[in-house]
Amino acid sequence: MGVIDYTQEAPAIEGRPPLREIDDLISKPLESKPDKKYYIALAITTSMLGIGGIALAASLYWGTGLWGNNNPVGWGLPIVNFVFWVGIGHAGTLISAILFLLRQRWRNGIARFAEGMTIFAVMTAGLFPLIHVGRPWLAGYLLPYPNQHSLWVNFTSPLLWDVFAVTTYLTVSFIFWYVGLIPDFATLRDRTTNKIKKVIYSVTSLGWRNSNRHWQHYEMVYLILAGFATPLVLSVHTIVSFDFAISIMPGWHTTIFPPYFVAGAVFSGFAMVQNVLIFIRKIFNYEHIITMDTLDKMNKIMLLTGMMVGYAYAMEFFIAWYSGVQPEQFAFINRAFGPYAWAYWIMVSCNVLFPQLFWIKKVRRNIPIMFVVAVLINVGMWFERFVITVTSLSRDYLPSSWAYYTPTITDGAILLGSFGLFFTMLLLFTKTLPVVSIAEVKAVVDGSQPSHGHEASSEGGGK
Amino acid sequence: MSAVESNFEYVKKDLPASWNKLGLLLTGIGLLLVVVAFFVDHTRAAFNNLIMLMFLSSIGVGALFIIALEYLAGAVWSTPYRRIMEFLAATLLILPLVALPVYMNLHDLFHWTHEEAVQGDYILEAKTPYLNIPFFTIRVAAFFAVWIIFFFLLIRNSKKQDESKDQSLTTKNIRLSAIFMPFFAITLTFASIDWMMSLEPHWFSTIFGVYYFSGTVLAALAAGTYAIIVLNEKGYFQFKLVKDHFYSLGALMFAFINFWAYIAFSQFMLIWYANLPEETFWYLNKWEGSWMFVSIGLIFVHFVIPYFGLLSQPSKMNPKNLKFMSLWILFAHFYDLYWLIMPTYSADGIAFGWMELAFPIAGLGLLILIFSMRAKNQNLLPIGDPKLKRGLNFRL
Amino acid sequence: MNDKILYGYTGIFDTPDEIINAAEKVSDAGYKKYDINTPYPVHGMDGAMKLPPSKLGYAALVFGLTGTFAALAIMYFMSVLDYPIVIGGKPFFAFPAFVPIMFEVTVLSASIATVVTMIAFFFKFPNISHPLHGTNYMKKVSSDKYGVCLQSEDEKFTEDGAKELLASLNAKDITPIYFPDEVHEKQTVFEPKFISLLLFVAIITSGGTYFALNKLMFMLPFNWMMYQEKTVPQESSTIFADGFGMRPPVEGTISRGNMPYQFKDQPELAAMLLKNPLVPDEQTLATGKEKYDIYCSPCHGYFGEGDSRLRGQYPNPPSLHSEKSRTSSDGSIYHVISAGQNIMPSYSTQLTRQERWATVLYVRALQRSFNAKESDLE
Repeated sequence: MGVIDYTQEAPAIEGRPPLREIDDLISKPLESKPDKKYYIALAITTSMLGIGGIALAASLYWGTGLWGNNNPVGWGLPIVNFVFWVGIGHAGTLISAILFLLRQRWRNGIARFAEGMTIFAVMTAGLFPLIHVGRPWLAGYLLPYPNQHSLWVNFTSPLLWDVFAVTTYLTVSFIFWYVGLIPDFATLRDRTTNKIKKVIYSVTSLGWRNSNRHWQHYEMVYLILAGFATPLVLSVHTIVSFDFAISIMPGWHTTIFPPYFVAGAVFSGFAMVQNVLIFIRKIFNYEHIITMDTLDKMNKIMLLTGMMVGYAYAMEFFIAWYSGVQPEQFAFINRAFGPYAWAYWIMVSCNVLFPQLFWIKKVRRNIPIMFVVAVLINVGMWFERFVITVTSLSRDYLPSSWAYYTPTITDGAILLGSFGLFFTMLLLFTKTLPVVSIAEVKAVVDGSQPSHGHEASSEGGGK
Repeated sequence: MSAVESNFEYVKKDLPASWNKLGLLLTGIGLLLVVVAFFVDHTRAAFNNLIMLMFLSSIGVGALFIIALEYLAGAVWSTPYRRIMEFLAATLLILPLVALPVYMNLHDLFHWTHEEAVQGDYILEAKTPYLNIPFFTIRVAAFFAVWIIFFFLLIRNSKKQDESKDQSLTTKNIRLSAIFMPFFAITLTFASIDWMMSLEPHWFSTIFGVYYFSGTVLAALAAGTYAIIVLNEKGYFQFKLVKDHFYSLGALMFAFINFWAYIAFSQFMLIWYANLPEETFWYLNKWEGSWMFVSIGLIFVHFVIPYFGLLSQPSKMNPKNLKFMSLWILFAHFYDLYWLIMPTYSADGIAFGWMELAFPIAGLGLLILIFSMRAKNQNLLPIGDPKLKRGLNFRL
Repeated sequence: MNDKILYGYTGIFDTPDEIINAAEKVSDAGYKKYDINTPYPVHGMDGAMKLPPSKLGYAALVFGLTGTFAALAIMYFMSVLDYPIVIGGKPFFAFPAFVPIMFEVTVLSASIATVVTMIAFFFKFPNISHPLHGTNYMKKVSSDKYGVCLQSEDEKFTEDGAKELLASLNAKDITPIYFPDEVHEKQTVFEPKFISLLLFVAIITSGGTYFALNKLMFMLPFNWMMYQEKTVPQESSTIFADGFGMRPPVEGTISRGNMPYQFKDQPELAAMLLKNPLVPDEQTLATGKEKYDIYCSPCHGYFGEGDSRLRGQYPNPPSLHSEKSRTSSDGSIYHVISAGQNIMPSYSTQLTRQERWATVLYVRALQRSFNAKESDLE
């Protein structure tokens, strides 16, 4: 590497690939037949999905008694999984919206993929509240429509806010994703020789003509959408944290929950994106588009958010002591040294200790190690939700209603199924849509933008 | 404006002497009034002094944070005016002095310093390992020490670079900034807990440090923006900054206004909803009598007005608007601190008199004075910074 | 070939610098209806083409604020006006709790509306039959080339002028673009096909909504909340041997607030020990009369004369005005009401203790009315 030259901007895309080569490379997976490895991967994920499906069908048929949920731990694994998956979904919008607003050009290579992951993760997450109610077909009652009970929904309930937040998030993420895809569909439409594909791409591209009169509005809309998606992404996990924090349960009711949950969500989301990207860049030969620098920066963000999460853990502990409220103090001592101490220390070590390795540059740029650390982060973040949900509930105010919660095999199978669903959708995505935004990558290739001499004339444009 | 040539000669221009004079004048008047205030009513003066201390810390630490953030994020748009932030961060140097009168009047401010009050109060007794004067002193000293040490380290490298143009200094500063961040988070949080949260020693909120942080960055950013635009108008930078720079400053302020609103709402919402008496009394105090209007006003002063003032794209690029909004935001931050601190002094209604004006005058004077003193013997542009040219050529 | 209608002339450029230059020149030459096609947005192009800034921000603002206030209005109507319920001790108009949904609806409506506005009104999409589609020009500019297209609609446009201008800019592949063979007539809103499509959509949507809300919600499994697998009162049941769905309370069950009567088989003790706790005031006597008329009068008659309205289905009880009745203590009458006597059942389940004492007082009043003394007239 040598000494970094700060006078030059580090290229977002390595080398200087001709634009047509980018087209070829990105559309290759769509134009070639999937190979054996792809089918093996698909077989694995669909079997996971199948196992989850069977477990789910069984629990709907025989009832939720198949789960470990007991009294007082009414929120068992389904809610843990819900929060986990919503969290995973946060990285996508963060990359596509917040980093866009911060003009981080390295995001262009990974934005599309991360957005796709957002959508799939939120879809997976959305299933869990429905599963958790036990009778998912009645979920329609959550919508405020004039129903036969002539009752309205409870607008002061955070669970209802969740309904609004998650559906809004899914819709806006989808719109964001689709708007990004329109120019790529146009490129694919003009490349393909297959008649059927041409019709499909013509329709999905809506007749995009790469016109600059359109690009102008398009960029504006992208900016506006990013502007909306940024507070939205914060709001979604904030509202998820409200599910816990507005209660008076010790360990749940603490004011730092909203930003803490958001930081945690970004943390786990980035870890998941990084994990999958490592495979994608290898398999599809995108090493120069999704560069080592990009992974390095993602690891830095993980380090940052990991420390935010650590800060929140510490603040919770300190304020619990400082508050002088006994149930609060008990809740935290119980977390760290009670029956769920094992989960707590898995959480702390995976979320706070291991990411500290990312201080070392060699680790940030070493694929096997960073992969392992990111996997550990996701394990840790899953356990964080487990610790929050279960330890507080299992130790109620009255010792007579204390109980230990053990997830059953059905719970585990449903969790496995959720991974199956997520990865199945992801695999199908890689073969049906361009996993890297063609237009956005072209825009950040060296030499794709006019040299500065011409910028001068752009000054008149802002009037 | 055409692109900045690869080689250019920076000619240092001194700031007008009137700045220094204005700073001296304001400081003089302000300090005089402050001294009188301490003789007239030392309790009230101490509270006002605390507000000023927090206000100046906001600008100092906030500026240092923004400098560190620039290094860490590798941002170029802010490089040409990083010096402004460095000058503002120099406020840190006088913080111990500003804190001295507060420290001498701790009994007027902090209920927990009264031993007779702590005795028999179960909760306060439990807190004595943390809330006691020796430990408090150690902590405050540590905060100032950490801030000032990092200030010197970061600024030293930046100054050195003016001469040597050595790129490795940037790398060094990036490392320093990374180390500074955790220290910053911890010191700022505990500073806010010690100085402001412990005014109501029974009250607690885990988000309080983040709340103060949001205001801190906003205040530093606003002060910096104002100085940058004024200096740019008068041509002190030699290169005219363009709308892209202003847009970036405006957008960052806009983002932090929203962030503040988000944090403030989260804190309020959770306490309002859970309705636990050990938490709600803090907000109820701020709803007592005429404080209610201050509380409602805070929403408008700190969120609604700056939000709509910076919402549209043209408004972020218009230097005039930005200048007004940055002054407004500085006022809003002061208003926020007043709202946080003063209800402890006068529980039943707003306390506003000449004293509440004397301290801001002194604070403002000090700020201007430090700024002009720092600017006197330093370059306004970090001429040795390798990112400078990229920063001047920055386009969206 | 020449009978086709000309759409415009196109030229291709290789580098972004060239296209920016070309855009400037074309707009300087006074062309209004031209387009620049690039595979990605090129920086500075808006300035080069002298395009006014996009107005989409206003659309976002308007739709966003509409969403905010619509959400607030709907929540206000539903939880304050139409069906207020106290939840968690919060006021009906719990504004802080409305903020999250207001925010979400703002974002949702603004995002959808802005994108739809852009696509439908700014781009006039979907439009997949534009003359540029399917041309070689489009294939190039959607991959790696930068193109200019001068449209024939422009006032300044002449075929030679356009060619000349493009040539002077060093454009490559200067080619004319023609409208497709069958020139589309201008589509109008009132075309029967379009109207019938609208009608079709309207019928499907309203029918679907009607079905979902009025039929589907009452079908299995959506009606499970209403028809639950449980035995409701007065239903028969196969679970119990007696076939009744309702079960009698367990032996010895006491209803809430009731105390068992302690002198069940000891009338003497009752007569001796029980004292009436009530005083005969207007309210007590009114209660007593009400209860007497309901429970006692069917057999004892409205005035206690033993003139039953049961017309011989049961033996008539003795008059309450007998010497024995008049001289018996309050406790004794209370005992009879509570425990029953001869054929008379216990009324302890129908009457509370207070009501029984009130009835005793009323019986006393009746007795007094039949045997009034002179002094009562005073």
